Amino acid sequence: MSYAVETRDLTRVFAGKKHRFRRKRTADEADEHLGPVTALDGVSIQIREGELFGMLGPNGAGKTTLIKILATLLLPTSGQAFVAGHDVAKDPFPIRQRINMVSGGETSGYGLLTARENVWMFSQFYGVPSRVSKARIDELMHVFGLWDKRDAKVRMLSTGQRQKMNMIRGFVTDPDILFLDEPTLGLDVNAARIIREYVLNWVRSQKGKTVLLTTHYMAEADQMCDRIAIIDKGKILACDTPEALKRMIRTETTFRLEVDAIRDTASFSSMQGVKNFSLTNDIGTNRSHLTFILEDEGPVAEILSLITSQGKKVHSLQKSEPTLEDVFISMVGRGFE
Amino acid sequence: MNTYWRTFKVAAWLGWEMDSNWTEPWLFVIYSVVKPVAGAFILVLMYVVFVAIGRPQGDPAAFSYLYIGNSFFIFVASVLFGTFQVIQSDREWYQTIRYVYISPISYYVYIVGRAASKVAVSSFAVAITLLFGVFFLNVSIQLSWTAIPMFLAATALGLTVLLAIGICLGGISFLTAKHTHGLAEGIPGLFYVFCGVLFPLSVLPSWGRAIGQGIPLTYWFDITRRLLAPSLGVDTTLTGYDDLTILLLLLVSSIAFFALSILIFKTGEYFARKAGKIDMTTSY
Amino acid sequence: MSAAPARRTDLRYRLGLNARAVVGRSYPRIIGANREPSWIVFEAFLPLLGIASYVFIYQAFGTRTIAAIVANDSLTQAEREAAIAGAHLWVNALVATVVLGGTMVAFWLNVLWSMASQLYWEKEIGNLQLYMMAPMNRMALLGGMAVGGMFMTSVRALSTLAAGVIVFGVVFQVADPLSLLAVFFVTLIALYGMGMMFASLYLLWGREAWNLSALMEEPIFFSSGMYFPVGGLFKIPGWGPAVALAGSLVPATLGLDALRQLTLGPASQAAILPLAPVSTELLILCVLAVGFLVLARYALAYLEVLAKREGKLTSRHQ
Ligand SMILES: Nc1ncnc2c1ncn2[C@@H]1O[C@H](COP(=O)(O)OP(=O)(O)OP(=O)(O)O)[C@@H](O)[C@H]1O
Ligand SMILES: [Mg+2]
Repeated sequence: MSYAVETRDLTRVFAGKKHRFRRKRTADEADEHLGPVTALDGVSIQIREGELFGMLGPNGAGKTTLIKILATLLLPTSGQAFVAGHDVAKDPFPIRQRINMVSGGETSGYGLLTARENVWMFSQFYGVPSRVSKARIDELMHVFGLWDKRDAKVRMLSTGQRQKMNMIRGFVTDPDILFLDEPTLGLDVNAARIIREYVLNWVRSQKGKTVLLTTHYMAEADQMCDRIAIIDKGKILACDTPEALKRMIRTETTFRLEVDAIRDTASFSSMQGVKNFSLTNDIGTNRSHLTFILEDEGPVAEILSLITSQGKKVHSLQKSEPTLEDVFISMVGRGFE
Repeated sequence: MNTYWRTFKVAAWLGWEMDSNWTEPWLFVIYSVVKPVAGAFILVLMYVVFVAIGRPQGDPAAFSYLYIGNSFFIFVASVLFGTFQVIQSDREWYQTIRYVYISPISYYVYIVGRAASKVAVSSFAVAITLLFGVFFLNVSIQLSWTAIPMFLAATALGLTVLLAIGICLGGISFLTAKHTHGLAEGIPGLFYVFCGVLFPLSVLPSWGRAIGQGIPLTYWFDITRRLLAPSLGVDTTLTGYDDLTILLLLLVSSIAFFALSILIFKTGEYFARKAGKIDMTTSY
Repeated sequence: MSAAPARRTDLRYRLGLNARAVVGRSYPRIIGANREPSWIVFEAFLPLLGIASYVFIYQAFGTRTIAAIVANDSLTQAEREAAIAGAHLWVNALVATVVLGGTMVAFWLNVLWSMASQLYWEKEIGNLQLYMMAPMNRMALLGGMAVGGMFMTSVRALSTLAAGVIVFGVVFQVADPLSLLAVFFVTLIALYGMGMMFASLYLLWGREAWNLSALMEEPIFFSSGMYFPVGGLFKIPGWGPAVALAGSLVPATLGLDALRQLTLGPASQAAILPLAPVSTELLILCVLAVGFLVLARYALAYLEVLAKREGKLTSRHQ
């Protein structure tokens, strides 16, 4: 069977930037900031047709880079990528006919056109007949709650309204494969829900529609995706269904603590049996939330005594079912905002 | 005062970076010179053609007149462009205008600062163009030592007027769509025609002459030419005025334009805020 | 689960796709520009002033020449009248030269700023990546920009011509309208082909290319003889002809030279210093037109790959 998206050992290196006029103040500066960046490092994934596939990863992990390569905007440095069975490097035309991409926070379009005109314009680049395109736009505007703003100039739209317009732009060409790069960025709860439901329904109710989604919202990924790849520093760390991912760390134990604000956390990492942990500070209540991924329950007592020995109070302690976020912490070793 | 100076310095630095850091220094220098020199060459060729087919004995006085006028016009084109383009580029291109605008500085001073690097670069281009004319094209320049203070004063006043006009345009462009190119070409064209830059005002119909005499730049070009090339005698429209009167006229008009620029700028700014146009984008 | 339906790739489909793309991209230019009516003043009428000043230069030269003729006592009355009539003739020819040049400048600036460097804008405002991801031909995209800008440009070009005839009293004499049309359209095609070729640079460069475009104003006005007969360059020994030959690579140069020959009467031909017969120039223009279009196609494809390799198609957002 052929995959909707397949990459083989895909690697992308960005060359260091050449600075002009003021160059090489110090040798260090040149090394530190301007050296080559490996954004993708041997990525191999397979996305099946009809799948809603998620990518999770911290900032700078390489998610957008991957999407750009798949969307024929960027060439791989080495390795291969296939979309709808065609090589992105050699045969972009048939790919372009079948894909579209929407990124969170993009500012595409022309300020002097209305929302509807902008979307219509983009649909023309895919050869969608005007009548078809206008009917689809009107329908989608109703769905996404942008109907009131259909004739507002784009420069008058709010960030969220603009994002809804971008979503409509993505769907109006009826792609087979849709790349969504943080599509709910900047949307209110309700708008985000509408978009999630629409995307889910779009994939489920039709044959041969595939979505590749990146997001920073764990719940979004958990709820929507058939499978999720976790990526960090350009490498795929795991790739499976959300359930399977959570099962992977079931042998481990997750504890959540709420304590008086603490700062010194170095001693936790050196503790026996602590696989990983994350810390977030709640400024409002002046408390810290700690999540520990432990090999077993052994270190709990030690952790508690370490906290109380610093004169901090423990407000709550809870053993919990692992969430996607715990998977992430366990693999990437950092909390996730 | 301190804030103004700091704003000016930062803006000037920013303007310089934006103008220059797209390439290697030597390319930037060539670029800064090639454009104005090629502009001057258009006029040289117009003159060459005229001599070839119209008047074999030539008309060196008319040529010097036009060459000097055009050299100083480099200031007009680049200072005007430098000032009003600040708003348009910050707004449409870098989309930083809202952040600069809300910071506790004078946006007016910020614009002047941004234009400063244009003034510096164009001074260089003016000098090169003039020197080229003197050494290779027999343009007659006889600036006497005693006239130098007056020349410097006139240049300073002329630049002030230019900056003020540029800021008036900036105030207007708060409200208009992106027309960088039309404006960059058009407004200087206005002065090109009416201020006796390339040809004596006497060629214009009487209403055109009247417009010309109402624009301070006319006096600036006239006095600059009188000081640099006293013996040309091409234009007699302003012979009634002596040098000091013209300088005084320049002084008065630069003060007036300065006030006007503040007024227009504030008005444009006010209406832009009222209409929500400060940070609009209007590409098409 | 069955595969998604296959998409069409036949010629008819491609023609339709690209035609729609042209319409789509020209739409914002035409509609959007009309929504901001200030553009008429800024883009179409203000530039007339610059052209007017070049006209006045020749008129000033003419006035001074005629004054000198009148003041010359050694001429008989008949000689004097003949000299003055001759002066009027060349002034008309040169003013016509400027007006025609001004018309061509309108198209050249449209090529430079509304098409080639437009890709820079598109990149900055985040549209370029969406364009490059779409299946339409890149030349259709650029074509759309050109067509959309053509309206504004035509207004400017026509008002230049009208101002020349009405305000400056230029007398045009057209004996061969067919050749005139042929030269005009072939010149435009070649010019826009050249613009498309330059546009490809914007895929890779940003501000460098923008500055290159800025650099293609005055130097090109000069080497193409936009405001004087390009034959004038041959009056300068040494580098003059070299500049003229280099300038002839810009289609506007030969196009203008031919247009000037075709729009002025036989008595004025000597005043415009023609480079070559019209038929020769038309032939060269045809070669340039085909050449630039072909080059543009390959340059766009090549630089797109290069830009994709270097990651320069998307500059700002994310
Ligand atoms: N055009 C470019 N030139 C140089 N480096 C780049 C370029 N684009 C991305 N990078 C680098 O590649 C790495 C991956 O970037 P990418 O945008 O793919 O991350 P991401 O996973 O999308 O992050 P985020 O969650 O913040 O969107 C980063 O270190 C980034 O700095
Ligand atoms: Mg990203």
